[in-house]
Amino acid sequence: MAAAQAGDQRAYAALLTEALPWLRRRARARWPGSSTADIEDMVQETLLALHQSRHLYDPARPVQPFLFGILKLRGAEIRRRRQRHAGHETALEDMPADTSALMTHGTQEHDAEQAGLQKALASLGERDRHVLGLLKIRQLSLKEATTETGMSVAALKVASFRAVQRLKQALKGGADEN
Amino acid sequence: MRTEDLIAQLARDVAPVRRLPSPGTLVARWLLVTLPVLAAVVLMMGPRPDIADLLVQPRFMLAEGLAAATTVVSAYAAFCAGRPDQPAWKLFLPVAAFLVWLAELGRQCFVLSVQTNGAALVLHADWLCVPAITMTALVPAAAMVWLLRRSAKFRPTHACLCGTMAAAAAAELVLPLFHAADTMMMVLVWQMGSVALFTMLGALAAKLGLNSLG
Repeated sequence: MAAAQAGDQRAYAALLTEALPWLRRRARARWPGSSTADIEDMVQETLLALHQSRHLYDPARPVQPFLFGILKLRGAEIRRRRQRHAGHETALEDMPADTSALMTHGTQEHDAEQAGLQKALASLGERDRHVLGLLKIRQLSLKEATTETGMSVAALKVASFRAVQRLKQALKGGADEN
Repeated sequence: MRTEDLIAQLARDVAPVRRLPSPGTLVARWLLVTLPVLAAVVLMMGPRPDIADLLVQPRFMLAEGLAAATTVVSAYAAFCAGRPDQPAWKLFLPVAAFLVWLAELGRQCFVLSVQTNGAALVLHADWLCVPAITMTALVPAAAMVWLLRRSAKFRPTHACLCGTMAAAAAAELVLPLFHAADTMMMVLVWQMGSVALFTMLGALAAKLGLNSLG
């Protein structure tokens, strides 16, 4: 460490490499409940803090208490930060994937349904779209629709029934794809 | 980033650093600035006429000794706070010193109140204490922040609290030399109250000052 204070890159790299497994071990022993990622965060923060406070080290004293002191202070800081953030977070593991809690805004579900319906309508034939447009979207009566299409009421009923069946099929197919 | 890569990068960036002196040396440097300032304040304000009598009174000298001990112990704790290898118990030394000092003043107040049939308990407003403590402690506090700027890398709040406590205790050490409190209760409430107030507000300002000094 004294050589590192003088700017010796090799001595510094050797010190840090040698300290790494020791720091991981000490961090795991001190905070056994922490995840591997948290332990690695603590070790990295310790190394960064050591780098920024090299001038505080007194070569007459052993280096281990110095390193462990940094680990204790930085590790405690990280744990405090994690605990503070935990209050604002919600665990997602126990939630169903289609819960509206996962939505980023209120109309997202409605928007997704509308997009699916438009896609299914686009997959239908010209005649089916026309019939559904008249009877389901514009909501004309069968009599009014006959004058627009020139079809008989019976033919319109059959065409409408088949169009709805095909739309259902298209929607189901879209859902299967998802 | 992998820790091994971080180590390689840190090793590449390593530059020679100037070692910081030990906490004891920093206390000596701080006293070197503070003591002449305190002496100058006493001379500027004019020592009390009865100062020669006071300096031979054991009661007065004990209170002054405890104020001096709190000053030195607090300054030492402030310089220890920023070092990761210094034990946490050292940070509580100023609290112990301050409590002993306060207890001794309380004891004196009680004894005097019994001897004078309650005259030592008389309390009235003494607004001079607050600015006197603040003005006297200002230079020691600024010197403390300057000396802490490189050492308060860890536990900066503790360092600032101990540092301002040292400055406030130093001011309270010299205040009785130029300003006479009418009763012991006045010392306890106004002078020690001013010390506590300066410590709290000073610690906040010191932390801001340290942040800006980087």
